[in-house]
Amino acid sequence: MTDPQFPMTQTELGAEEPIAIPVAESGPRQKLPPGKWLRRNLFNNWYNSLLTIVIGALLLFVAVRAFSFVFITGRWEPVRANLTLFQIGTFPRDEEWRVVAQVLIWTAALGLGVGAAVAGAKFRALQAGVEYVTDPALDRLKRYWALVLLLLVWLFFADTIGPLLLTVASLALAWGGYAAASRVSGPNVGLLWSVVGVLGVLGFQIVSGFFGLGWLWMGLPIAVAVYALLGRPDTDDVKRQRRIQLIGVLVTFAVLFGVYTAVDSVGVEWDDWEGLQLNLLAAAIAIALSFPLGLLLALARRSSFPALRVMATTYIEIIRGVPLISLLLMAQFFIGFFLNTDTPLSLFTRAIAAMTLFTAAYVAEIVRGGLQAVPKGQMEAGNSIGLPAWKVTQLIVLPQALRAVIPAMVGQFISLFKDTSLLLIIGKLELLGVREIVHGQPDFRGFGIAESLVYVAFVFWAISFTMSRESQRLERKLGVGER
Amino acid sequence: MTQTTIEPPPEVDPNESVVWYRNVRVLRVVGQVVAVATVVGLIAWLFNNLLTNLDRQNINTDFGFLDRPTNFEISFDQGFDPRSPVWQMVLVGLKNTFLAGIVGIVIASIVGLIVGISRLSSNWLVARAATLYVETFRNIPPLVIIIFFGFAIFTFGPFPLLSEATQINFLGTDDNLLILSNTIWGIPGFVAEDNVGVFWITFGVAVLAAIGVAIWRTQLSDRTGVHHHRVRWALGTFLVIAIIGHFLAGGAWSMSWPVVSENGRRIDGGFIMNFGFIATALALGLYTASHIAEIIRGSILAVPKGQSEAANAIALTGFQRYRYIILPQALRIALPPTINQYLNLVKNTSLGIAVSYAEITLLTKTSIGNGRPAPQSIAILMGVYLVFSLVISLLLNAYNRRIQLVER
Repeated sequence: MTDPQFPMTQTELGAEEPIAIPVAESGPRQKLPPGKWLRRNLFNNWYNSLLTIVIGALLLFVAVRAFSFVFITGRWEPVRANLTLFQIGTFPRDEEWRVVAQVLIWTAALGLGVGAAVAGAKFRALQAGVEYVTDPALDRLKRYWALVLLLLVWLFFADTIGPLLLTVASLALAWGGYAAASRVSGPNVGLLWSVVGVLGVLGFQIVSGFFGLGWLWMGLPIAVAVYALLGRPDTDDVKRQRRIQLIGVLVTFAVLFGVYTAVDSVGVEWDDWEGLQLNLLAAAIAIALSFPLGLLLALARRSSFPALRVMATTYIEIIRGVPLISLLLMAQFFIGFFLNTDTPLSLFTRAIAAMTLFTAAYVAEIVRGGLQAVPKGQMEAGNSIGLPAWKVTQLIVLPQALRAVIPAMVGQFISLFKDTSLLLIIGKLELLGVREIVHGQPDFRGFGIAESLVYVAFVFWAISFTMSRESQRLERKLGVGER
Repeated sequence: MTQTTIEPPPEVDPNESVVWYRNVRVLRVVGQVVAVATVVGLIAWLFNNLLTNLDRQNINTDFGFLDRPTNFEISFDQGFDPRSPVWQMVLVGLKNTFLAGIVGIVIASIVGLIVGISRLSSNWLVARAATLYVETFRNIPPLVIIIFFGFAIFTFGPFPLLSEATQINFLGTDDNLLILSNTIWGIPGFVAEDNVGVFWITFGVAVLAAIGVAIWRTQLSDRTGVHHHRVRWALGTFLVIAIIGHFLAGGAWSMSWPVVSENGRRIDGGFIMNFGFIATALALGLYTASHIAEIIRGSILAVPKGQSEAANAIALTGFQRYRYIILPQALRIALPPTINQYLNLVKNTSLGIAVSYAEITLLTKTSIGNGRPAPQSIAILMGVYLVFSLVISLLLNAYNRRIQLVER
């Protein structure tokens, strides 16, 4: 007979070797034989047994229903027939090659970026005199199982060879980029990042076109590369060196400006970017734009100037107090009226403005948390060696604060990515909005509603889940909150 | 180390005046004035643009439209007269927003607490099921969940049309306990009779009496050490007085059973819920529950392990350990982030717009579509959410300060 008064203690004392238990728990996890494992983890007392049976039955029921929904009763034709529509919406079909090129360029950039990070880590390990260890390849693949599953679903739904070829090509490019970059020797990693930046901008501009201010964006990573290349410390004349670097950067910008003016090829306008592409792009642009704004707001909120503090706090609290959708409605109806533009801004631009203004308040709070986590002694140390206040912030506070906020920023990006589904409400065809078009087609009217929603939910889920896992891993790796 | 000489600091004459552009105090003031002037100038410029542009588009900039008729019907709300002024529409929207918000909060709290505790269960299966729940709901946009409930489960889902609705009777009588259809659900409700005014007076008395009893029990417990049982006492007092008030008014409330109308287009009587409301409240409840579960889990883990060991040492059962030792401490840690989640939930009810739930955002958007000026309408919309959020934050901060003081 079990005594319900001592559920925990009894099972522990009742074990064969009571003394060995703490040792077993603190050491590496012991592999128990199945029978013992079942008794310890599922049936260790009467109510746990009951719970196991009830929850087990429930889970089994859900699993059976889900299986039959996915493989037997589910009518996936609407999704299968409109796979491209879900990815890029009504993006002009004869310009589709641009998207393909974009995917290829960006996967190559991703591979290079990961490789560059590995090369950097190897170099730092070498400098610190420790061995650089990586997880086994299988473990690394396991971390991305949700993304792999998403890819498989896409390939399964595709009825042409195109997506498979694209997948293979981009995987090959990513792998090639990774393999090449991870072998780069330490001091050149900085240049590698510039290449990643150039590819990133190129991937963007292959769709948006090479005109207007595009040369400026492309100029930034190239200028960084030129600056680094010209900056080899092989001269004693620092001033002359600086002058050469400056001239190099200016020449780069001038050449790029010339090239962009000469090419002047208009791509596909932002307003035509739709489907999943729009969700990812809008989230990326909005988070990138809101970061500087949020940083300024956070610094202002912690400033010693009461006027700045009050203004920043007011802005942050107002924005955090209203739902994003009210700002998006503002974007839809009258945000353009705040500016004196001759031609009305595109809906995409207005939506991005609203999302940026919204996210900046949240980014500010995240950065403020990071700033607060920097011990006061750091600032005092900076002051004591005679640095001016802005130098203390730039050289001592921000590097530590920003490192600590990376996981939270990833979390904010996930939340923003999920919020891009709200673009549906102001009439942008993002992933969720494409669904309505699909069910407006005469062939797919009134059925497959649950299926298309499950598909959309799964795409959002796979991307958000992978990113949130990565952010948790990053958090552990950076040791945030442990010091 | 080379020998370093420390120079004595230069003598500073406190009376010596610093040139003004090197004086930190002056610079601070000047800096702030410049910053404020820039921001104010920017805002003034933006608003000037707005007013000019609105003028050019012939859009009014006053709030006179609030008194004009709304001119549209609110779906599933037969009581709303399209001729009533816009401000009444705002009130209806506000009521619906908070209705969905409160129901959502109740669902989120209950499910979140259960899932949060389950995630730390020693039962492997229970813990895994809870993790599955959290990881699924947390990573899907709430809008997708709302639309799933609204369209995949209701409009196009397994529920029948209203004309042939499923009716579940109360123990073999003809009274419907539940009417299920793909657009509206009906459950029994209460209808106010003529003398409800008398009841509300006794209701107020009942609340005051309950508070009084709770205070008395607390003081008694402080004096004598008897267990106060103040919740039971207060609730009992309240119920007794409220029920007496009900009969004193000659039956202030009467039970109303839902019935499908003869033409099969609506439900008469009872308490009626439309699919937009159910989808919004349920979806947001389940979505927010996944966030609350994580908060609860973190808070339980934040309670020092010694507390739980101490509970074991005095031979408390698992339930007692949670009820009297761990949860009271964990919930205190969990409170501020949980209230934040509640605020998010109430703000997220604006997503009910996707399943045409008549909350304030949908009504505002419809009203703008009917020619009401957008800037003022959206300003009112934002103002409503803002006031609510700020009030809750203030209360939370006050309460937080109080319980923190109790703690240490």
